[in-house]
Amino acid sequence: MFSTIFKYELKYWIKKPAFYIYMAIFLFLALFIAASSAGIFDFLTISAGSSKVVNSPMGVIELFNGLTTFIFFLFPSIIGLSIYRDYKSEMHTILYSYPFTKANYLFAKFLSSIVIVTLIVIVIGIGMFIGFRLPGTNQDIVGSFSFITYVQAYFVYIIPNILLFGAIVFAVVTFTRNIAAGFITVILLMLIQGIVSNLLSDPDNRFISALLDPYGAEAANYYTRYWTVAEQNEQLLPVKGVIIYNRLLWLGIASLVFGLVYKFFSFSQNAISFSFKKEKSERVTKSNFGGITRINLPKVNYNFSFIQNLKTTWKLSNTDLKYIIKSWPFISIVLVGLIFILISSTALGQMFGTKTLPVTWQMLLVPGSSFSLFINILTFLYAGMLVHRAKIERVNHLIDATTIPNWTLLGSKLVALLKMQLLMLLVIMIGGMLIQVYNGYYNFEIGHYLYELYVLNFVHFVIWALLALFIQTLISNPYIGLFALLVIAIGMPFLSAAGIEQSIFKYNQGPGFSYSDMNGYGTSLSRYFIYKLYWLIGGLVLLIYTALFWVRGLPHSFKERLQIAKARFKGGTIIAMALLSISFLGLGYKIYHENNIVNRYTSSKEREEQQVAWEKKYKKYENAIQPRIVSAKIDLNIFPKKLNFTASGDYLLVNKSEKAIDTILLDHNKYPSTFEFNRENKLVSEDTLYNFDIYKLKQALQPGDTLQLHFTVKNKPNTILRKHSPVQSNGTFMNNMELFPSLGYSGGELTDDKIREKYGLGKNELRPMPSDSTALGNTYIANDADWIDFEATVSTSEDQIAIAPGYLQKEWVKDDRRYFHYKMDHKILNFYSFNSGRYEVKKDKWNDVNLEIYYHKGHEYNLDRMMKGMKGSLAYNSENFSPYQHKQARIIEFPRTGGGFAQSFPNTIPFSEAIGFIADVDDEDDKGVDYPFAITVHEVAHQWWAHQVIGADVLGATMLSESLSEYVSLKVLEHEHGKSKMRTFLKDALDKYLTQRTSERKREKALMYNDGQGYIRYQKGSLIFYALSDYLGEKKLNNALKKYVEKVKFQEAPYTTSIDMVNHIRAITPDSLQYVIKDMFETISLYSNRIVEVKSTELENGKHKVDIEFNVSKYRNDEKGKRFYAEKGGDSITFKTEKMKKPIVSVPLADYIDIGIFTEEEKEGKKKEVELYLKKHKITEINNKISIIVDKRPTEVGVDPYNKLIDIKSDDNRRKL
Amino acid sequence: MKLIISNLTKTYKNGVKAIDNLSIEIGTGMFGLLGPNGAGKSSLMRTIATLQSPDSGTITFGDINVLEDNMSLRKVLGYLPQSFGVYPKMSAEDLLDYFATLKGISSKADRQKIVKEVLEITNLYGVRKKNVAGYSGGMKQRFGIAQLLLNSPKLIIVDEPTAGLDPAERVRFLNVLREVGTNSTVIFSTHIVDDVKELCNEMAILNGGRILKHTTPLEATKEIEGQIWTKIIDRDDLEGIEKTYNVLSSNYNPDNTINVRVHATEKPAVDFVQAAPQLDDVYFIALKQDEPVVA
Repeated sequence: MFSTIFKYELKYWIKKPAFYIYMAIFLFLALFIAASSAGIFDFLTISAGSSKVVNSPMGVIELFNGLTTFIFFLFPSIIGLSIYRDYKSEMHTILYSYPFTKANYLFAKFLSSIVIVTLIVIVIGIGMFIGFRLPGTNQDIVGSFSFITYVQAYFVYIIPNILLFGAIVFAVVTFTRNIAAGFITVILLMLIQGIVSNLLSDPDNRFISALLDPYGAEAANYYTRYWTVAEQNEQLLPVKGVIIYNRLLWLGIASLVFGLVYKFFSFSQNAISFSFKKEKSERVTKSNFGGITRINLPKVNYNFSFIQNLKTTWKLSNTDLKYIIKSWPFISIVLVGLIFILISSTALGQMFGTKTLPVTWQMLLVPGSSFSLFINILTFLYAGMLVHRAKIERVNHLIDATTIPNWTLLGSKLVALLKMQLLMLLVIMIGGMLIQVYNGYYNFEIGHYLYELYVLNFVHFVIWALLALFIQTLISNPYIGLFALLVIAIGMPFLSAAGIEQSIFKYNQGPGFSYSDMNGYGTSLSRYFIYKLYWLIGGLVLLIYTALFWVRGLPHSFKERLQIAKARFKGGTIIAMALLSISFLGLGYKIYHENNIVNRYTSSKEREEQQVAWEKKYKKYENAIQPRIVSAKIDLNIFPKKLNFTASGDYLLVNKSEKAIDTILLDHNKYPSTFEFNRENKLVSEDTLYNFDIYKLKQALQPGDTLQLHFTVKNKPNTILRKHSPVQSNGTFMNNMELFPSLGYSGGELTDDKIREKYGLGKNELRPMPSDSTALGNTYIANDADWIDFEATVSTSEDQIAIAPGYLQKEWVKDDRRYFHYKMDHKILNFYSFNSGRYEVKKDKWNDVNLEIYYHKGHEYNLDRMMKGMKGSLAYNSENFSPYQHKQARIIEFPRTGGGFAQSFPNTIPFSEAIGFIADVDDEDDKGVDYPFAITVHEVAHQWWAHQVIGADVLGATMLSESLSEYVSLKVLEHEHGKSKMRTFLKDALDKYLTQRTSERKREKALMYNDGQGYIRYQKGSLIFYALSDYLGEKKLNNALKKYVEKVKFQEAPYTTSIDMVNHIRAITPDSLQYVIKDMFETISLYSNRIVEVKSTELENGKHKVDIEFNVSKYRNDEKGKRFYAEKGGDSITFKTEKMKKPIVSVPLADYIDIGIFTEEEKEGKKKEVELYLKKHKITEINNKISIIVDKRPTEVGVDPYNKLIDIKSDDNRRKL
Repeated sequence: MKLIISNLTKTYKNGVKAIDNLSIEIGTGMFGLLGPNGAGKSSLMRTIATLQSPDSGTITFGDINVLEDNMSLRKVLGYLPQSFGVYPKMSAEDLLDYFATLKGISSKADRQKIVKEVLEITNLYGVRKKNVAGYSGGMKQRFGIAQLLLNSPKLIIVDEPTAGLDPAERVRFLNVLREVGTNSTVIFSTHIVDDVKELCNEMAILNGGRILKHTTPLEATKEIEGQIWTKIIDRDDLEGIEKTYNVLSSNYNPDNTINVRVHATEKPAVDFVQAAPQLDDVYFIALKQDEPVVA
């Protein structure tokens, strides 16, 4: 019997066109994504080159899994349908009386549908395989085919997931006899997965989340998280440990679910229903004798007017809305969504373990893109349900024969959908306020909530609702409609990969908006609304189509529907359609015109080609000698209301070289500008594309001669669709590089060597090596200046304060404008900023230095911490390195929409509102870093490490500024808050370093030769200098640095390099620790340290003997992340026990590693860790056994217990006893 | 008001000609549309009820051109399809209010008034708070009548309403229908001859999409007065008799003999007895004449 049912089911599907349609869709998706990742659209869009192999085992499994997620949405209509079909066709009334067993029936149904699904999934594999190799793909980034990869993906991840999700969907649909329920289950499972990963995002929870992730992706990630690019390209994914546990766990759960289905399934005629109140039973008879009644219908009024129909639309929408609200898919999504919001809020804007205050804009970010996806899914689902409900419940003939006009019916469904969306948005608002109340934050900005949710977000969802009704009306099966809509909604943004970049061609796409306390929505809204208006009109056009194709009466063939639509297309409909279409096309053309004709549109492909052409055309000027800027005098007028600026400036240029200069290379920006030299000249080449102009001086500029350049710059007038200036209405932040001209070739070349090769460009070394003594003529900040005199007059509207580096000489008001004249008394780098805003000012003093914070009213929360940070940094740096060169230091807040960073200009530090001003620091919490303090220290430290010591523009330059500032920040933090707070910071830095290096596109170099990647200069740099101060001693290290600073501060060319600094450090490093210099600065070295076994025995004298077995091993990575274990010629050391399959290999060791023993003590009711023992041991072998005697009972033992070293697996360094 | 159908044709995608160049005029009163399963009754009724458009032909009701202006017809139309569902979790009262809204009754008081009345007419007032989805077949069919009455229809179309009803429900249903039909045109399809006999002042027999006969029940039986003969035969003789005579129906008696009814203008044989013509006979004669001739 099993095989009969099984075969019948398979035949059923194989005969069904849907089966082939699904396969075709997945084949297409897989082909498209694989081929586009392999660069098939390189001719249309930017090249897909990278050092990553796109079909590496990891790449294949990720893509395979990702696409398979889509198929879960088909489960309800494939796996769920297998039994539901028998109910729907009422076959079950006959079938269930037949002589087959429950097991036969259930297994045959389940397994046959699983087979169908796995067949569809195989197509994904085939699609990927072909996609990677389609003609036109870039075979340089495609590796050779590895069959085992596909097999592994299929059997380890995909089939178990199909079984799990299949069993759950099968169970739900079988019991509820409701496809929608199955569908919602799939969404809920995804939601739950999101919640789990959110809850377990802390690195400490990685093992648990690896175990619990039903998709298995976290489990794989557990091992592959830190794989370098080379490892990703070459290694097969492991099948071991937690991956196996995870798979077994979920397979077990799948069998359990199926077991429950088996247990509770019965061949009954009715679905299982749950009822909370017990109905009392009674015998029911009906009256069988009825007389003849006289029919005398009361007179009632019938109203078929337009107005009445409008009212009816509203009334019917309430009936539909009631249906939605009462249906449990809606209820469950709302509930789980609310939980999702509440849980997401636990890591609210978290940085270094510290949350931000629950301000309203932050609350509005919490639901994020996943919640809006849920609103969309509900919209898509219920659009289908509302359109098809009458048919599904077979009421359609009754309804369709009434006088209700089609538009009223359609309108009522639309209104019901919109009301549902409004309700969902209310959930976000309630969720947000609950979080605020929970956190004791009572500044409810209801207006902000309402505006963002009910105006900005709502219009977005309305446009989707219009599409949803259209698709669901065209497609007669609501679940297929839903699937189609999901593919459209999720796939739309990906069209860019195929070169369709402009939003006017992609439904409901367009610029977004973002909010800051300082500047509100800024200027983004006008563009947002225009695009939304455009798509809303587009949606209304669809709505008319929907009305034309609306099914009234019997289901029609498509041909018939076309005829009916044609017949309906008359009178007012034609006029409405014409008007809407004209406005849609008109507005579309207006946008297109603005973006492509009035302004030059550069596709990403063109941008790439322009980069190439730029390099080919102008690179020859790279080493052209140019006069240097020695002074800049700027007049800048900021118009915050009109969002305009005008500026003029004077550069004084000096020929510092020994050769005469007759050609001036002026690199400016796209703003309308004028340039005037005080020497006779001729403009010999004007390039309006690259804005790179060449002037020939009539008389060459002799060595030591000066040249003046006077320029004016302003922005093009802003239009409603385009803003042409960086000015904000409150919180403008601009710098000289974006506004003013510079001299000489400015770089900006393509960096990816594979793409460069395609365009016939040689390999790009980015920058010269620091050992190249001819390359030290420029700082890495500017290639046209050394140290300059600076003076600026900045004006702004009367209610704002304008700030530029320097000391305020004069402030005055003239013609409703406020003027500020700033002047520097000290030479600075050619790097200055301009800020303007409605600021409050907090003032303080450190010695004779004036400290100021310009902040947005209401953002007072952390000003004291920032003040303290300024003082701490000034004190530490001047004490340890050199005196502070200025008499003031200022922090200036700018809107988060301008970025989430702070930047240190001479005595002036623009500081984003997002990274400190609203931080909610908890001093009691050891896991939370006081980052407003730490970031302030870092930025102030730049006044030394950048503004005193500035590296030459060669590799490794950022070590001298960023790594050192980060080091100072760590040290000041440590002195202020104690060592225990450092662990969060260090762990975070280690995790970020190890994670971010895995997505390196070009190469990773050692710290002192780094290309400037953030993860090297910040994270790795901070780890290394912190460890170094531990090895050498803070004082000793700082003394070496002090010597170095004294030598190089404010120096002119040739500028200093990392080599110079490392040499200073090397000089004070004892021989035994010289290896540290090599490991830390000169190579990429990673440890893998681990406690193997620990035993503690109490001795007779009350002391404790701790026996520790631990492993230490170290390897090095090359640029691409390939591992090396030998210094030279096979001198690596190995260790292997009988149990081990593979030996541990290491670079030869003579390393000093911390061994620590800890106990716990209670202090003020809290358990605190206390060091019993911490000492560096010299390690020469991989496997080590030592015994240490301590005074108290130990609770925990560790090798490098504070994770000072860069350790590829940092969670096995400690072992609890 | 007269319903005039002329030259109506509808062919389905699968090639079945459900309505074949059909023309008929139907006046006020009860009109029975008799035909076997698959005769095209439902197709015809759906077409009249504006739920389906024909390939060609016209339908007018009074001065309403049904196919051009289906909204005007819907205003005076009451339609009860052969089978229908209802929204779950909705009581009769709520559902009727919903339908009343759909039918254009704008005032709430009006809706309440008429809903109460139709519930009483159909004897559902006592169960008005119960979910319709839980009604028995008869109750649901009465609910169907209730919703149909909401707009005081002039043209009522009921498609096989008595199928599956118990005798008491059937009688009650027909009584209500009759009551409604006094002032309007009621078209009523069935394959149960008795329904027509008991109720209709006019009737037509439909098969294969064509009207085979358009008559009144009385006239129809009168027409074949003296042409129906019956005989009790043994089972074994049936095939022979069927070959020789125009057998309209044959049914078993409790003693295993068979009663045959034969249509013949003259007495077919001595042992045949003349029988009083019944509407069934008319029905079978019409169908018999329409059967494809086997060569």
